[in-house]
Amino acid sequence: MSLDYVKFSNGFEKFMPKEYRDMVEHGPFGKKVSVSQVGSFKEVLEEHPMCAGCAMTLFIRLAMVAFPNPEDTITVGTAGCGRLAISQAAIPFVYGNYGDQNGVASGLSRGLRLRFGDKPKDVVVMAGDGGTADIGFQQVLHSWFRKERFTTIMLDNEVYGNTGGQESGMTNRGAVLKMAPLGKKFEKMDMLQMAKVAGCAYVATVVPNNPRRVESVIKKAVLIAREVGSTYIQAYTSCNIEYAIPTDKVMEDAKTVENDRYQFTEYVSEEAKQYLAERYGYKEFLPKPAAAIPNKA
Amino acid sequence: MYLVADISIEICAAKSCKLCTQYCPEANTILYSEEMGKDQGFKYGSAYVAVDRCKGCAQCVWVCDNMAKNNAIKMIMIDQLPKAALTDNITYGEKSTTAVLASPVVG
Repeated sequence: MSLDYVKFSNGFEKFMPKEYRDMVEHGPFGKKVSVSQVGSFKEVLEEHPMCAGCAMTLFIRLAMVAFPNPEDTITVGTAGCGRLAISQAAIPFVYGNYGDQNGVASGLSRGLRLRFGDKPKDVVVMAGDGGTADIGFQQVLHSWFRKERFTTIMLDNEVYGNTGGQESGMTNRGAVLKMAPLGKKFEKMDMLQMAKVAGCAYVATVVPNNPRRVESVIKKAVLIAREVGSTYIQAYTSCNIEYAIPTDKVMEDAKTVENDRYQFTEYVSEEAKQYLAERYGYKEFLPKPAAAIPNKA
Repeated sequence: MYLVADISIEICAAKSCKLCTQYCPEANTILYSEEMGKDQGFKYGSAYVAVDRCKGCAQCVWVCDNMAKNNAIKMIMIDQLPKAALTDNITYGEKSTTAVLASPVVG
C-alpha cells in the first residue's frame, strides 16, 4: 500500500516480464497522470478476457487512469463481468462474495484507517447492476446509511450479462432479453434518489462517451470519500452482447442513451463542496463573492 | 485471420487529436508516438496500434470517423499488414512511446 509495492525485489529485475518492467518504470504510480495523456504511459490495466468493444471495459480503463493515487487504492468487486478486468490491474483487488462487496469494503476502509491513520488509502467498489442494486442491495444501502467512507461505482449494463441475459432491477421497463422473453414488467430502480436519501455526499451519473467527464467524476468521488462520506457513481456501460449492439456502434449507443435517459447529473453535498474547495482547490465549489450573487430585492 | 485496426500516419500526424487513445476499451493498445509523425516531416506525432492487444472491435474507427472526422483508421486483416507495432517492441519514454515495427504474423 505504498510506492514500495511497485518496485523490483532485489536481484529479480532481469527476470521480470516486459509488462511488469514497464509498469515499474513508466506506470502512473507516484505521478499525476490524466486521461489526455493515455497512450504515452503504461496503464495499470492489463490484458483481460472481456468481450471486444465492451463499454464497461472502457469505463474501467478510464476509472483506473483517474484514480488520484493508484498506489494507495484498493478495488473491491464481486461476481459479474467487471471483475474480469478490474482484477487484471496493478492495483490490489478484493473479491467479495456476490452481494458482499460493500460489507467487505466497509471493513477494509475502517481497517486501513486504523492501520494508516490520516494517510489517505482509497477503497473503490466497482460492481455491476446485479451486484449493487439486486443481490448486494441490502449491504450497499446499509453502508451508505452508515456513511462509510469509500466510493461505490455501479457498472450499469441493465442486464445480467455474464449469465445469459436475465433482467435486473436496473433493466428498463419493457426490455425484452434472452432470459426475459416477455419483457420486464417493472420500472428501472432509481438508485440515484436512494443514494441521496441514504446520505451519500456525492452522487453522479456518467456515460463513458466523455472520457474527461468520467475522469473528473471519479476523482471527485474518491477525494470526497476520503473524509466526508459515501460516494456513488452510476455509469452506463452497455452490454453489446445481450443488447446486440455492433461493437463499432457502442459509442453511438452510449450517446443515444445519454440523450435519452442517462444525462449527466451530479449532486454534491454542501459539506463535500466545502471540502473539495478548501482541501483540493476546486474553484467551482468556492463560495461565490458577494457581488456575483444576484440581488433578489 | 482476423481484423485489427490500422492507423494512417499521414492523416493522423496532420491532426493528432488523440481521441482514439482515450476511447479504446483495451489498455495500452492504441499508443502515441511523437517520433512516428515528426520523423516523416509531419507537424505532430501519430497514434499507432499494438496489434497483439487489439481485439478488433472497431470502436476507434467510429470515433475517428464520426467524432474526430479524420477517417484515419481502417480495419485490416492482420496478415495484410506489412509491418506493425507489437508490445514487445514498444518502449515507453517520458512523454511519448516509440515502437520498432515488425511483421505481425510469426512464421
